[in-house]
Amino acid sequence: MPDLARFPILTIALRDAREALRDRFVLIATLALAAAALVSVLSGAAALHGDATTYAAARDQLLALGRSASDIAAPELWPLKLLRGTIEQIEIMGAVIALIAGYRAAAAERGRQTLALILTRPVPRWKVLAAKLIGGVGLSAGALAVVFAVSATLLHLLSGVGLTLNDLGRLALVWVMATLYLSCLYTVGFALSLWLRRPAAGLIYAFAFWLLLVLVAPQIGDTMDPDNQVSGGVFAALSIPRVEQDRIKAGFAGYEFFRNGIEVASITKHLERFSFAVLGIKDTYTGRPISEIWAERRGDVLFLFLFTLGLSAIVLLRPIDPDRLTQEI
Amino acid sequence: MPDQSLALSVRGLTKRYGDTTVLHPLTLDIPDGEVFGFLGHNGAGKTTTIRLLTTLLPPSGGTAEVAGHDLRTDPLGLRGAIGYLPENVRLYDRFTTRENLMFFARLSGLSDAADRVGRTMAFLGIEPLAERRVGTFSKGMRQRVGLAQAILHDPSLLFLDEPTSGLDPMGVRLLRDIIEQLNARGMTIFMNTHLLSEVSRTCSSIAVLAHGKLVFQGQMDAVTERYGDDRALEALYLGVGEQESAA
Repeated sequence: MPDLARFPILTIALRDAREALRDRFVLIATLALAAAALVSVLSGAAALHGDATTYAAARDQLLALGRSASDIAAPELWPLKLLRGTIEQIEIMGAVIALIAGYRAAAAERGRQTLALILTRPVPRWKVLAAKLIGGVGLSAGALAVVFAVSATLLHLLSGVGLTLNDLGRLALVWVMATLYLSCLYTVGFALSLWLRRPAAGLIYAFAFWLLLVLVAPQIGDTMDPDNQVSGGVFAALSIPRVEQDRIKAGFAGYEFFRNGIEVASITKHLERFSFAVLGIKDTYTGRPISEIWAERRGDVLFLFLFTLGLSAIVLLRPIDPDRLTQEI
Repeated sequence: MPDQSLALSVRGLTKRYGDTTVLHPLTLDIPDGEVFGFLGHNGAGKTTTIRLLTTLLPPSGGTAEVAGHDLRTDPLGLRGAIGYLPENVRLYDRFTTRENLMFFARLSGLSDAADRVGRTMAFLGIEPLAERRVGTFSKGMRQRVGLAQAILHDPSLLFLDEPTSGLDPMGVRLLRDIIEQLNARGMTIFMNTHLLSEVSRTCSSIAVLAHGKLVFQGQMDAVTERYGDDRALEALYLGVGEQESAA
């Protein structure tokens, strides 16, 4: 163990982590997120298990009859597709929890007057803020690790298909991306609750941010997509061939640029697009090697990374308002 | 070179919020080893002054040398040399006394944090509370732990903001004894209060602040001599209040 007295950032971040482990809110929120994610995993896993069992029974029958198992086509089972619900829960519910956790981190330090005590120690203020943000990353990573570990374990056990090392690698990649996403929202909750006169007002503004970027922007983008106006897609309903589809779309390039612009302004959409691709949830990416997906979707990672970095830089560069050291009601 | 014989040297320190001046130019000298009482009515500007001197608030004007460190040019050095106990501090409720103190000891850069925490707890008689969570403590117990975090690093100047606020008579007496012991060790104490009884028993010099202006500064002996009876401080304090009202 290093001498923590020489590393104030580590000292503060570790303290935050220890407090999170004792915080009932963190425990309940993590379990609630895991439970919500599991509902979809459980139902999907049961269906997948049914498919796998049916195939196994048919294959055994063939083998018993002395025929080759290759006489019937093995079904393509993609267990990671069942994590769609998990990703959606992280996008919406996880985001709310991260905002509240960020708010609580700022409000608690102000309410207990411990922020004033920390700021009268010989530690540069940017280090104090950096430590708080790192604490948020740790909290997000820990909570998501629990959610993904529980989801993956149940998926493995209940689906009867099993997860490969490649699957676990994909899960790890999505875990990193989701950690970045929740850290970003934690930072929003923390910063607004620290900057405003009343932390509760900060939380309200944080929810406005959530409403706009997590709920509204992706939804507007979807609603404005002409292909989404009819169930199953306009082009499919009208049986328009692919070449003709592309020609029609080319005529709406400006509109499409605008529509897509709204959609990709949302960090949520970047998490979704990347995760759905890596986990094979979106059919066009199912079964494709990770290197191909990475080459195609690394822009999502870059966007989320730069967004989080920019937000963190604003928090670090903005001086702590000395009139915001205590909590006003 | 900083003046080593002065624990605090303030020159024209001012705080303004827009057009409102909450602390008019304050000039003040406090020699090393004093127990200094900073008196004033609620809202007089006492807490603002402490926040300025502990670097929590940036001044609008003026300067100060605190424990030999310039307020503007050496804030980190200053913070390493002072201790601070705010009014109504709550600390980390889910942490034990020892965990709270270890955290602040490390933030003070103490490489022998565990030793310092042990010694400080022994000095303040809070060893039996070491493994108990602070969230379960009474106001008096919490105040002692708060004081412990303020003196862990053996600061040369200790700022106490209304330290007896909300304490029962036993707690007040205990705190007074501790302040005397700390002062006997050579620590300078700067204490904000509006409790005259505490000032007359504990402080060697005082200043009175009214509506952000310094209206009196002197030694306790001089106050008693000037007003000539046991109720000298009260007379001074009320007199200042009346003068302010008349103005």
